[in-house]
Amino acid sequence: MLSFIGRSVVQKIITLFFVSIVSFLIIHIAPGKPSQVDPMNPKFTPEVVERFRKEFHLDKPLHVQYLYFYKDLFTGETVSWKDNQSVLKKIWERFLNSLPLFIVGTIITWTLSFPIGIRSAIFRGQFYDRSATFLSYLLISIPGFFFAYVLIIFVVNQFHVPVIGMETFGIGDGASLPHIFMDRIWHLLLPSVLGATGGIAVLSRYVRSQMLEVEGQDYIRTARAKGLSPEQVHYRHALRNALLPFVTMFGLILPGLIGGSVIIESIFSWPGMGRMAYEAILARDYPVILTVNFVSAILVLAGTFISDLLYLIVDPRIRL
Amino acid sequence: MTIRRVLIFAPMLLILVLLQSYFWVPTYEEQTKGNPERLNEYIAGSIGDASLLNPILTADSASSSIENMVFEGLIDRDEQLRFRGRLATSWEVLEEAFFYVNKSSGIPGLGKAGPQDVADLLREAKKKKNTTDPRLKNSLDYITAISVIPPRNYLVTKQIKGPDTGEQKKYIKISIAAPARIKLALDRVDQDLFQNLSLLLGEDYFASFHGENYLSADPALEKERLAKYAGELLPAVEHNPVLMFHLRPGVKFHDGHLFDAYDVKFTYESIMNPKNLSPRIADYEPVKFVSVIDPLTIKIIYKRLYSPAIGTWGMGILPEHLLNSQALTKEAQRLGKDPNTFSMRQSSFNRNPIGCGPFRFQEWKSDQYIILDRFDGYWEGLPNYKKYVFRVIPDRLTQEMEFYAGTIDSYDVQPHQVKRLEKDQRFQSFSGTAFGYTYIGYNIRRKPFDDPRVRRALGMAIDVDKIINYVLYDQGERITGPFVKQTDYYNNNIKPVPYDPKGALTLLEAAGWKRNKEGWLTKDGNKFQFTLITNNGNDLRKAILAIAQDSWKQIGINVHTDLLEWSVFIQERVNKADFDALILGWQMGIEPDLYQIWHSSQTNPYQLNFVGFKNKEADDLIIKIRQEYDHNRQVEYCHRLHEIIVREQPYTFLYVGKWTAVLDKRIVIKTLDDAEQIVYEKIKPTKTGNYSFYFNKWIKLPKAPSFMDEG
Repeated sequence: MLSFIGRSVVQKIITLFFVSIVSFLIIHIAPGKPSQVDPMNPKFTPEVVERFRKEFHLDKPLHVQYLYFYKDLFTGETVSWKDNQSVLKKIWERFLNSLPLFIVGTIITWTLSFPIGIRSAIFRGQFYDRSATFLSYLLISIPGFFFAYVLIIFVVNQFHVPVIGMETFGIGDGASLPHIFMDRIWHLLLPSVLGATGGIAVLSRYVRSQMLEVEGQDYIRTARAKGLSPEQVHYRHALRNALLPFVTMFGLILPGLIGGSVIIESIFSWPGMGRMAYEAILARDYPVILTVNFVSAILVLAGTFISDLLYLIVDPRIRL
Repeated sequence: MTIRRVLIFAPMLLILVLLQSYFWVPTYEEQTKGNPERLNEYIAGSIGDASLLNPILTADSASSSIENMVFEGLIDRDEQLRFRGRLATSWEVLEEAFFYVNKSSGIPGLGKAGPQDVADLLREAKKKKNTTDPRLKNSLDYITAISVIPPRNYLVTKQIKGPDTGEQKKYIKISIAAPARIKLALDRVDQDLFQNLSLLLGEDYFASFHGENYLSADPALEKERLAKYAGELLPAVEHNPVLMFHLRPGVKFHDGHLFDAYDVKFTYESIMNPKNLSPRIADYEPVKFVSVIDPLTIKIIYKRLYSPAIGTWGMGILPEHLLNSQALTKEAQRLGKDPNTFSMRQSSFNRNPIGCGPFRFQEWKSDQYIILDRFDGYWEGLPNYKKYVFRVIPDRLTQEMEFYAGTIDSYDVQPHQVKRLEKDQRFQSFSGTAFGYTYIGYNIRRKPFDDPRVRRALGMAIDVDKIINYVLYDQGERITGPFVKQTDYYNNNIKPVPYDPKGALTLLEAAGWKRNKEGWLTKDGNKFQFTLITNNGNDLRKAILAIAQDSWKQIGINVHTDLLEWSVFIQERVNKADFDALILGWQMGIEPDLYQIWHSSQTNPYQLNFVGFKNKEADDLIIKIRQEYDHNRQVEYCHRLHEIIVREQPYTFLYVGKWTAVLDKRIVIKTLDDAEQIVYEKIKPTKTGNYSFYFNKWIKLPKAPSFMDEG
């Protein structure tokens, strides 16, 4: 077990190193320049551009730039080119904003997918299952932004309440604490539901197929033959075994934390991670892009690591 | 079965908790009509957030819209685009001019003369009533004082750079024996001064002065290099325009500190400080030095003639006491950073700015909002709105919905949205000519674009009116040249290139292009074909690309088109001048300075005259325009330059777009008349299309007032 952990950590560090090199190269080789050295602005004389390049170390060879960047990153001194704010501080702020969205979205996804998927599996081929399948494919195929617009227009026109932002604009002045809290919950509702729809559609399909697979196993037949009630068969014997792969999936949702959702966050004016990363890419704000990239690489690797561990723990058949 | 129950009740409970929150949320009604304070705040919607709130460090539009509220410049432009005093009450434009006494050149009627004789000659000529040449007389009249600067000797050390010296730095000492110099003080700037004085002093008096004769270098230098240094160290003639600003007394910063001339000097020095990386440094590079005469008078001396310089003093003035080196050192120490590397860029001032504008900074939440409160001590009187709020809403559709709901007062409205909103009784809409134009540029270095007849024919083949009509939904108008259409620099007498495919063919025939059997234009056996490119992601340009291709095909030109990603387009094609023809647009400022885009010295790679336009006459005019301080003469030069550019057709000028804005009808201008009675007026855009010119007088009323002129 310990040797497994040790090996895996070493492997992941090596992977991380290569990820850092590749992402650095991609960003620098990709066309486009930071907006500070945009040559199409007549106000920017070559001297100014040169000075910016120097300040940002863009005049140095790539490997030197690489060292500069990661030295700054590990000492926590990386600053965004756009506003000179510390990148780690910026990411942390946005992370806290994205976190509630992520948590509520994940809870919705996981709590809704299971009942839907299990029921589909139990009533396989019947009307419920077919309509659930239809709905799932519908939700998967509708573009998120379109669905978001439809929902926003519907809610705003029907209920006349604001839906964008993290809270109603200006509510801070004189509202009571429960009001502020509930207002925040309301603003979480639409974006997290939207973020969850795709997840529900996919995950419930997964649950269904897992359940079906397990339901065909011999031990289920045995359980039925024993005379157990269908409920006990479905929920105790079948579901528990069907759950195994999902435990490992839990580790893999970790990277979603930092990726956020560019589209949902932009449409709902949510000051989250995804939007910041997207705007950084448009402005070629390399420090922000690379740091977000690096952090998400760490999260992906940590996620797979956690999955491996979880699998070890829940499935006694696996021994390393 | 508990598991089953949990699986069913957990999601239901979750959904219930989420849904019930609806009952706690204030409706739009409560936020707008139910909230009387809402009338006292103006909420502007914006797509993007500001970056830094420091006018000398930023150049983006979101940041400047806030900076304009918080900071105030010395001057700005009024409704007619004339300069208007803000922190400065008045200003004078003077000149100090110098020339070295050239002992080797004979002066008509005087022979070779020393400094005193030359000065006396000038004084005499000035006194004389009947000077032969009126140009000379004018120039002499502008002179207010003549003095002699005695000769002096001094030493300068120069560092040689260049490929021939390799990595090693080489220093040379140059000793200078400067001859006597005459200093002339003028009551205005006169760019023709020396040209006119040579009528008196002899044609070659200035030209035959060779500075290198007064230099000696150690180690010795070759002649050309020495001559180059001489041009720098001992220029035969020198214009030093002088700007003298008289500042408004009693103006305070938001923290109560009194504003004075030292703040202006400090702002200038901060821009020039290389540590601050100010993107505005180029505007102030021509400044020689800034000196404070007294706390309310500041004198700015320029190295050379550069008339756009006056406009640069609209720059917001920074408070010296909060940002000078002591303040920054203190801040660095507080944050535990190295004071030597800590610059204004790192200062927390940029997120907590203090200026002397009408609104004071209150709060900034990144990517959410910026709140400004009106400043009680504003010198021009309190703005009507108590609060200015800048809300970041990155999505256009939700912006529009918030606007409908009344929770934002303005947003980046699109032309098609204006069409929809202008019929709505609740809103007032504005539109006017914008400051940027779209064009097709031809690479003049390449054949057949080197022939102006061909360029003109290409323009004649395109029906621009149809483009405006169908592509822009009439949200644009034709433009014929590179000046801002609503200024008087723009020559309105020039007619746009007509749509005339037949005429185009005649012109092309004159240039040697004839249609062959298949209908293609050919010359010496070569088909007329080229590639027209533009950037991807701009639907308007894409549409124009297709229209131009089709129009040219119809007169027998084989045009290929290509759409490129923006950065590839700029880096690989525009910067390297590797294109035949392209569609692009320019944003213009009010200043008519065209040096970077049209001067022949700017045609190298990575420069902005990428079409390679070279015209001697145009070059002269471009220089003259940027050196001329007199508005009427500037206008005259601009009109001539406009004519040349139209004649040469390096671009096919297509159109200038329209800006659009929509506001709630309840927002009006509130002023007091002579009898202290409140008067409401409708908001009207100024001639140049600035509808928020009187923003400080705006207020939102509970009900839309009806105005007489509406009928």
